[in-house]
Amino acid sequence: MHIPDGILPAQVCAAGYAITGLATWYSLRQINRKPDPMAEIPKASLLTAAFFVASSIYIPIPPASVHLILNGLLGVVLGYFSFPAILIGLFFQALVIGHGGLTTLGVNAAMMGIPAWAAYHLFQAHRYLGRKLPEPTRIALFAFLGGTLGLGLSVLIFLTLVILHLPAEVDARAEQAAVVAFSLGHVLVMVVEGLFTAMLVLFLHRAKPELLES
Amino acid sequence: MGMTHFDTYVPRQSVIHRWSPRLKLVSLLALMFAFATVQTLSLVPWMLGLAALLYGLSGLPLSFLLRRLNYPGLFILAIVVLLPFTVGNTLLWQWGWLTLRQEGLQATLLIVGRFLSILTLGFILLGTTPFLTLLLVLRSLGLPTILADMTLLSYRYLYEIAAMLATMQQAMRLRGFGLPRQHWLQVNGQTLQQLALLVGNLLIRSYEQSERVYRAMRLRGYGDGAQLNLGQFTNHQAVGINLGLSGAVLVAAVGLVVAEWVLRR
Repeated sequence: MHIPDGILPAQVCAAGYAITGLATWYSLRQINRKPDPMAEIPKASLLTAAFFVASSIYIPIPPASVHLILNGLLGVVLGYFSFPAILIGLFFQALVIGHGGLTTLGVNAAMMGIPAWAAYHLFQAHRYLGRKLPEPTRIALFAFLGGTLGLGLSVLIFLTLVILHLPAEVDARAEQAAVVAFSLGHVLVMVVEGLFTAMLVLFLHRAKPELLES
Repeated sequence: MGMTHFDTYVPRQSVIHRWSPRLKLVSLLALMFAFATVQTLSLVPWMLGLAALLYGLSGLPLSFLLRRLNYPGLFILAIVVLLPFTVGNTLLWQWGWLTLRQEGLQATLLIVGRFLSILTLGFILLGTTPFLTLLLVLRSLGLPTILADMTLLSYRYLYEIAAMLATMQQAMRLRGFGLPRQHWLQVNGQTLQQLALLVGNLLIRSYEQSERVYRAMRLRGYGDGAQLNLGQFTNHQAVGINLGLSGAVLVAAVGLVVAEWVLRR
């Protein structure tokens, strides 16, 4: 779901870099407010590498199989480190396999990273909301919502950008059909991504709860 | 995601290799953005020609580019299959329900042209500059320390973690894990659970390793004002190459932007 080079005009690419610059600055400011930010760097870095590797795992969603985006999960686990982590992951992908692109790095980072923040804040809400529910249920529910929202917002931004920059001659009816088909396909992936995030977060909560204390 | 080896630097003695990494990064990025501004079809051959000329100057083998185009080639294929037959009203050729349309063909040529040119420049940058040098250049251009350190550490442990995942997947297969036959549009919950546990274990192992790494880094003075040592990149390249190449590439970039502006008016 990365936007490759050559699709978007230079102005949009530049705006993407500006938004990513601002978001990175804000993330780093929040990170620097932590008691010992340097101690968190190895953890965030190795988890960035682990997420990058894990995104290569294919999940069977018949009739095909998809690889998950995991930006919601990244937000839930890494908090404010998620934006730099996504930026680095996309930089690696653009360099190693030409997935995404260097001119669209800013746009792609904003498209994946800002929803990761949203997922982080939504997941953190489990500390205050739904306190009547048992803790594991609450954690699973908010992790599911975080995972779904992370991907859902990214799909929405992706669709907006692609529709705005499609060639003007595209038949409106065909465009509408393509958008509906893409959205419906991704609703299923969003649910799977939410379930996957909930299962994984529940497991981390049982086995290594400090990983969720971002 | 096909993971090839990360540092794809190809040692050569070309002028692009001897070009100062800092000027190379800035000039090539400027040219990539200039390529992204092109909306006029008549500029596409110029753009492709410039990319081909720089690739030729870099001395990189053609196989390097072709191998790396495998994955992005899927995108080109999708565009070529879709746009010329679905976009536009001017029919160029028709065979049954299959119609080739002029506007779609033009849009395809424009998008594929920009895509290939920008991608080629990216691979020239990667093939002629070691990854660590690239990181050093980014730091010298103001990349924040946290971001530089995170990039370096992620890069350092990427293949170790990939090997860890491969071992875990092999262990799962040896214990009978396989993707069972599934019904149409039915997600198998058990498979999903097993894959979630796999990723969860990978995260825990990476986290535990990061604690050991951090302790080792602390013992070496990390966090007391000391930064990760990336080494120093030497900048003793010939002044002529630096000025000549950077000047030519920046003039080409500005020329393309101006030509685009003039042609669109």
